[in-house]
Amino acid sequence: MIELCGLTRRFGPKTAVSNLDLQVPSGELFAFLGPNGAGKTTTIKMMVGLLQPTEGAARICGFDVRTQTREANLRTGYVPDQPYLYEKLSGREFLNFVSQLYGMPASCAAKSIAEQIETFELGRFVDDLAESYSHGMKQRLVFASSLVHSPEVLIVDEPMVGLDPRSMRLVKDLLRAKVNGGMTVFMSTHTLAIAEEIADRIGVVANGKLLFLGTVAQLRTQLSSDESLEQLFLTLTEEAMDNGHADR
Amino acid sequence: MVMPIADSPRRDNHDLQRCLLSPAAETRLFWRLRVLVGRSLLQGAMRTARLQVISVGLACSALWIGLFALFAGGFYFMQTGLVHSGMRTQLIHAVFNLFFLALTIMLVFSAAIILYGGLYRSEEVPHLLTTPTRAERIVQHKFEETAFFSCWGFLLMASPMLLAYGMVVGAAWYYYALLLPFVISFVLVPAGIGANLCLLVVRLIPTARVHALVSVGMLAVAVTGFFGYRALAYNNKDVMTPTWFQDVLTRLQFSEQRLLPSWWLSTGLLEAAEPADSPESRPAWRESLLFLTVLTSNALLLNLLLGRVANWALRPSFSALQGLTRANRRAKVGLFDRFIFAISRPLPNATRHLIVKDLRIFRRDPVQWSQFAIFFGLLSLYFFNVRRFDYSGVMERWVILVSFFNVAVVGLLLSTFTTRFILPAISLEGRRFWILGTAPITRDTVLWGKFWFACGGSALPCCTLVLLSDLALRIPARSTSIALLHQFSCLALCSGLSAMAVGFGARLPNLRESSPSRIAAGFGGTLNLVLSSLYITAIIVCTAVPCFLWHDTDSGASAAGMFVGGYIGLGTTASVAAGAVATLVLGAITTVFPLRMGLRAFRRLEF
Repeated sequence: MIELCGLTRRFGPKTAVSNLDLQVPSGELFAFLGPNGAGKTTTIKMMVGLLQPTEGAARICGFDVRTQTREANLRTGYVPDQPYLYEKLSGREFLNFVSQLYGMPASCAAKSIAEQIETFELGRFVDDLAESYSHGMKQRLVFASSLVHSPEVLIVDEPMVGLDPRSMRLVKDLLRAKVNGGMTVFMSTHTLAIAEEIADRIGVVANGKLLFLGTVAQLRTQLSSDESLEQLFLTLTEEAMDNGHADR
Repeated sequence: MVMPIADSPRRDNHDLQRCLLSPAAETRLFWRLRVLVGRSLLQGAMRTARLQVISVGLACSALWIGLFALFAGGFYFMQTGLVHSGMRTQLIHAVFNLFFLALTIMLVFSAAIILYGGLYRSEEVPHLLTTPTRAERIVQHKFEETAFFSCWGFLLMASPMLLAYGMVVGAAWYYYALLLPFVISFVLVPAGIGANLCLLVVRLIPTARVHALVSVGMLAVAVTGFFGYRALAYNNKDVMTPTWFQDVLTRLQFSEQRLLPSWWLSTGLLEAAEPADSPESRPAWRESLLFLTVLTSNALLLNLLLGRVANWALRPSFSALQGLTRANRRAKVGLFDRFIFAISRPLPNATRHLIVKDLRIFRRDPVQWSQFAIFFGLLSLYFFNVRRFDYSGVMERWVILVSFFNVAVVGLLLSTFTTRFILPAISLEGRRFWILGTAPITRDTVLWGKFWFACGGSALPCCTLVLLSDLALRIPARSTSIALLHQFSCLALCSGLSAMAVGFGARLPNLRESSPSRIAAGFGGTLNLVLSSLYITAIIVCTAVPCFLWHDTDSGASAAGMFVGGYIGLGTTASVAAGAVATLVLGAITTVFPLRMGLRAFRRLEF
């Protein structure tokens, strides 16, 4: 469902993502972990067509994001770390606009919007202008808009920032339910506990390189340790960060 | 606990393929979006910023009426004063061609800059790029905004001229009917050129896009300067003679190039305004329609080209711009900072640190210093050129008035800067209150820091500009006291305008907004701008009127001064002194009251 083949992106002399090979099949929740500046957001931006790879390719449902951007985007839902909302549109108008952008028939769109409003409990404020929303309200609306067209792949960059515990529970349950229904979820996060709780597999990246790919159990085996994911993560990334600093 | 969550029905690939919108459906969707956003904006503005809407409307109406009166007077003079019809036609053609050529150049640049901001600096475009929207549609969406802004400005400037011309020459109904189609199709040509250039430059040379823009801009200024100099360079003795007149018209012929859209527009409109010579000859409106067709077809061609360029350039150029690395800039404590810190020694230590902090932010933000440099640079250019006019004879008595107008212009320019940069700074400081609010300094220190930064920072360039104007007009040679009064008025303006911006910024803050331009465009900014204009007018009236009449009386240039001076006391030395005292009092009131109001409000403000 998601294929990254030798994906590389350089910014001038700096390599943000280096030769990344990764496959995430249908019905899997993949957590992408890494310290600040590791290349997580750059990878995600290449997967949604905002950045073009210097080398390699990203494919969504078999469509090359660079050459078949529209086809790939049609199958993707994206929740960015800093989402954009039209401040002068209400939540319902925004959901309507997004559903129309994805070419949904009116009846299908209305049904899906009603479902998202119920799922994310937007009913209380969905007809107010987005400029009056709190951060958490905006985040819930963005989640709803990314799912309104029933994408096959959901890409989420830092999903829990600004959400209250109830909304976090909601999002975690929702992501699991979607994955169980066959959706592919690619989630970048710093919240290791969430990755440990809901992810099928994790990928750890540092200095643009994939350090580990597998389940948390496999990571424990690899590092011969029974410690928490946080400790495993620190052990794994510490060395890479030290090498990265030494290279500069 | 929110459970369980039902999964939405999945669609198969066949359904998904049909979900890609056709170009026509995309167009309709984005127009619906525009209508929704526009309606919401208008309703919001009428609900929360009625004063601002009314002020803008009134200011635009006043400007439009003023321009209309000016153009109507000018065209009437040409119609009645120039008896030779050939010369009249030549002159009107020259005026139209030159006016629209200047607008064409401005539109190309403004369209390129506005579109660049809309495409590569807005938050909307990254959002749209992650959806299955065509690149062509995204660019078109932003281009429509660009054309709207260009068209709006163009209509405000050109419509009074075109309507005035039609009324003076008694044009037929179809002249008025053709105005709007002509204007719209014309605007789309330079806007289309600018938009295509913008995309091509960013796609082909993303790293050198600013250099390319600056180079083209400098080239345009150089070419305009060259042709302007060629057209206007003359011997003062020959002015207003038929030879000079013919010579100027010949020099302006470059604006009549047949390939210029401005020539198509002006010729088309002038044809429409002409009555048909005889029933057998081709009606003028048919000739006019030919030019309208040329403009429309070129506009459509450029739009078609923009779509192709957009599909080729938008995504790669966006990606390339995102990837540009900014060179690491190591902040240094410059000599200038040390100098400012040293000369502000009488102020409290914390205030001095705040001033230096604001100065560093100003220096390192190109948006702030470049606007400051451009406008003050243009004003300096104007003041340098004031000396080109001959002020001997009948112009002599107006020199004093012109010099005071120049002080007013400096004040008006300063008021736009205090409204745009100082007033929002208070609200922005409020957003950063986690640091200043918890530091061991009083809130008053923050406001005093802003005031001294604004007042001290503006006094030097403003007084220098006024001095430049006075030297160009030879004011010190005419009267040293008037030159000193100019400097005094300028200082009063700097102090009052800075205090007003700081006071209103603290009294009417907008802590939710992070964009300084939006804060400036809000209620506080509008009120500050309106009151600043009134303050400038009051200061100039207090100083200019007595000085003008006093100079008249003193030089015996006019009986008016003596007449008025004799009866109501104006035109005497005492009246000039009274004007200076009034300026002092007004300046003190305008400095103290807004600052007190701002300090009181800022102490009570909850973040």
